Amino acid sequence: MTRGVLVGRAVFGLLGVPALAYGVLLVWQLGASQWVSLGEWLLGSVVGHDFVIAPILVGLGVLAAKVLPSYARMPVAVAVVVWGSITLAAIPVLGGFGASSSLPSLLNRPYVASWWIGTAIVVTAVVAVSLFRRRTR
Amino acid sequence: MTRLPVRPPREQDFRSPLRDQRVTARLGLWLGIAFSVAFVTGVFSHFGQTTPGWFTYPTRPVSIYRVTQGLHVLSGTAAVPLLLVKLWSVYPKLFARLPPWPPSRAGLVNAVERISIGVLVASAVFELVTGLQNITHWYTWGFGFRGGHYAVAWLAIGSIGVHVAVKLPIIARALTTPVDAPVDMPVGERWAFPGAPDRSPAISRRGLLRAAYAAAGLVVLSTAGQTVSWLRDVSVFGVRSGDGPQGVPVNRSSVQAGVTKTARDPAWRLKLVNGSTTRQLSRAELAAMPQHTRSLPISCVEGWSAGATWTGVLVSDLVALVDAPPDSELNVSSLERSGAFSTSTLPPQFTADSDTLLALQLNGEPLDIEHGYPARIIAAARPGVLQTKWVSRLEVNA
Repeated sequence: MTRGVLVGRAVFGLLGVPALAYGVLLVWQLGASQWVSLGEWLLGSVVGHDFVIAPILVGLGVLAAKVLPSYARMPVAVAVVVWGSITLAAIPVLGGFGASSSLPSLLNRPYVASWWIGTAIVVTAVVAVSLFRRRTR
Repeated sequence: MTRLPVRPPREQDFRSPLRDQRVTARLGLWLGIAFSVAFVTGVFSHFGQTTPGWFTYPTRPVSIYRVTQGLHVLSGTAAVPLLLVKLWSVYPKLFARLPPWPPSRAGLVNAVERISIGVLVASAVFELVTGLQNITHWYTWGFGFRGGHYAVAWLAIGSIGVHVAVKLPIIARALTTPVDAPVDMPVGERWAFPGAPDRSPAISRRGLLRAAYAAAGLVVLSTAGQTVSWLRDVSVFGVRSGDGPQGVPVNRSSVQAGVTKTARDPAWRLKLVNGSTTRQLSRAELAAMPQHTRSLPISCVEGWSAGATWTGVLVSDLVALVDAPPDSELNVSSLERSGAFSTSTLPPQFTADSDTLLALQLNGEPLDIEHGYPARIIAAARPGVLQTKWVSRLEVNA
């Protein structure tokens, strides 16, 4: 290890450990009435990613490798990364779960229509790029 | 054709050469930047609302909170695709063999590292999920959002620090090696995870990185219009279009606050209190005082903001009516009976500030009830939740 890496390790460790400890203190201070829900959400975050989202992605990858022709795999991979993550980030607006009739300036866009238009654009682009790649192979 | 294993997966089962430490480290660098920006701006926002004694919240620049809180939400949003692809790239590690029992010293180190990564993943995903839900008022948890999001932010940034400290030798090597150079080192030495490499990945490592960066850029563009007004038309997933009464969005309505009757009551009076000295002013009396017009943004903790022109009475003129010095700390009360922000504290530097108004008008018209009619506080640089609406009382804090 170079000197720079050693110094960097010390700096990140000396900043990280107290910050982590302070976070534990803050969680402690929230009080027992909040720990259960907070714990559920922290655990749910790991489980939701590691045992729901990630296996779905792995499954899609295995499936794509089996069924997609080679010229289509690159555009599909890009589309899944880009449109998949945008869709995940947009779940709260797409579902409109927080909308309130007394608050018309919140969640006031046609999100689902936009999502379908976006999906149509992405699918068209994937098909176009795939066909182009098949021809120029 | 290979058969899918029916046993739990092992680390070696994952064969994509895209799952490579050079990819992980590059995404981690940008994630570290995004989380650091979100952390610093988040702490600033927290201090704006719960100000520690040693901290004086600034009154300038006028748009500081508009910028910091806009960055807070946008950096968190940009982190979503980066975190997803980064976790994808290291997913095989979840299935790495556990050290034998009883563990050796190396096994213990491995166990501690796994626990710390568990905290890192939990807190990072937690921050993004609760933050994205909160900006749409989608509250599905049993803890207070602000306290929970703030406490876990420290867990996240602390575990990121520890993670970088542990991995720095690998990070340094990975970042200084070209991302698309072929892997020709023996297993155990090379960047990619063990197992025979997949010979035909769908995309190059550089291509995967570009896709992740493009996703981060697009997810920002698709939401940034709620704070960057010229992006409104492209921000199709923005929580607010920017429309609202008098051209300004609303975050808490008169119905939600339960003030639809009291705010319109002609008997409304503003009560000014300084110990035993009190004054009551009708809206007409307030309107007869010297009026001042200021262009100030309203900037919400939820990351949206809007510029507006406010007209009203200087708060420093009001405190003079009850013989209080201009740099008095004020307790501001709303007609709203309950709710965390039915009252706020105006720090001395804001009471004295020539940009702090009790506004009666917005964009040249009498305040809409949704914007706080009959009168609201508007000050430079402060979080929107502290710009108390439907003000009923200003009391000097002795």
